[in-house]
Amino acid sequence: MTHLTYIMAAYGLAVLVGTVFSVDAWARMSRARRRLAAIDPRANRG
Amino acid sequence: MDARTANPPPAAGRTLHRFANPGRFLRISGRVLPVMAVLGLGLTLTGFVWGLFFAPADWQQGDAVRIMYVHVPSAWLASFGYLSLAICSVLSLVWRHPLADLAAAEIGPVGAAFTALCLATGSIWGKPMWGAWWVWDARLTSVLVLFFLYLGHVALVRAFDDPQRGYRAGAILALIGVVNLPIIKFSVDWWNTLHQPATIKFTGSPTMYVGMLWPLLLCALGFTFGFAAIVLARTRAAVMERRIRGLLMARAQEADAR
Amino acid sequence: MTRKRRRLILLVACGLGLGTAATLVLTAFSDNMVFFLAPSDLATKAPHNGRVFRLGGLVQAGSVERVREDSKPVVRFRITDGAANVVVSYAGILPDLFREGQGVVTLGAMQADGTFRASEVLAKHDETYMPKEVADALKRSGHWDPKAGAPPPASTWNTLVPKAGNGG
Repeated sequence: MTHLTYIMAAYGLAVLVGTVFSVDAWARMSRARRRLAAIDPRANRG
Repeated sequence: MDARTANPPPAAGRTLHRFANPGRFLRISGRVLPVMAVLGLGLTLTGFVWGLFFAPADWQQGDAVRIMYVHVPSAWLASFGYLSLAICSVLSLVWRHPLADLAAAEIGPVGAAFTALCLATGSIWGKPMWGAWWVWDARLTSVLVLFFLYLGHVALVRAFDDPQRGYRAGAILALIGVVNLPIIKFSVDWWNTLHQPATIKFTGSPTMYVGMLWPLLLCALGFTFGFAAIVLARTRAAVMERRIRGLLMARAQEADAR
Repeated sequence: MTRKRRRLILLVACGLGLGTAATLVLTAFSDNMVFFLAPSDLATKAPHNGRVFRLGGLVQAGSVERVREDSKPVVRFRITDGAANVVVSYAGILPDLFREGQGVVTLGAMQADGTFRASEVLAKHDETYMPKEVADALKRSGHWDPKAGAPPPASTWNTLVPKAGNGG
């Protein structure tokens, strides 16, 4: 493959951005669900 | 804010406000989110593998053309993301839709990240092909402006003590920035630029070999689902966080009253 | 309901005003938005007395020559936009995509002898993407000479299955 370092850098960035944002969104969601379940008088099914 | 959703608004707004009910939104989005996440991940990975290992190299660019499968979808999503931000802003300013405010605040950072990815991969592609990491032509500059609009929105929405004022200011900024979208799209046609004009046009057949077009479309679809899934997950979290704040505040007031 | 209607009308009015303003500004500054000048712009718009500007166009077929000036390797070629052409000289490394018929954008200044001395040459890629096998098939069949300009309409080649070779 020609230009291999450039290609790897581009795909690496894409994977990095996707992973960081997915993990962050998932962590935020499950933390909010846990906190809500702890204080919400109504049964909460996220 | 919750009081507004408790009283159903009259006729015209009713269809829109059906989804303003946080409970209903959480229920529906909870079912849609896994489908979107799986589609986003599956299509993107398939597109990446296809683009990296099975699509042909370009006759001039060689394998560097494979950067396209990252660069072009992120460029499309940068613009589509901004369009969705603008739609949320209209819903917020005209119909005072409470979910649109939360969604707009969550679209901002994701859109900024996709725009940054577009700029970075464009730079990585530009160095070996054009011979420059960056040039100040109309296309590159207008996309950089889009990135700053996203950043401005992210900062403005979070800059006020009263979130409502932040949402209002952010919505106005987002709508002013819409002027930039046609400039990005048509910059390569209106002025001469180093960036080439569109390959996939509304009129006429794409000037790209089918063996390259399919993985590109697959990646674009995967990026779209991925973007939507991330925004949806963040908005779900934001809805729950707002409810937590509301409950804690109600509790504090109750304690004060006693 | 009426309040919503009023807000909607206000928003549309603001949008129209902003759109008009943006159009006027862009039209007024249109000359400054171009990244480079074409050879046929030079007669009217070229900055004289050694001011640096960008000149772009296609590398004219058969015009590339490598010479030595003061024992340094220099490449000379013509940039054309069909209507006019300018001789460019450049000492340095050319981008990989540089070839006859390719679009290029150069940075430099006009010299007293009417040639353009470039300090930077960028390759301007066009919007077509095709595998080597397809490009070779088009060249072999005489449908396209990359030195002469743009490829034939996309519908004639973008689903072509090349006979020779193992690509596709």
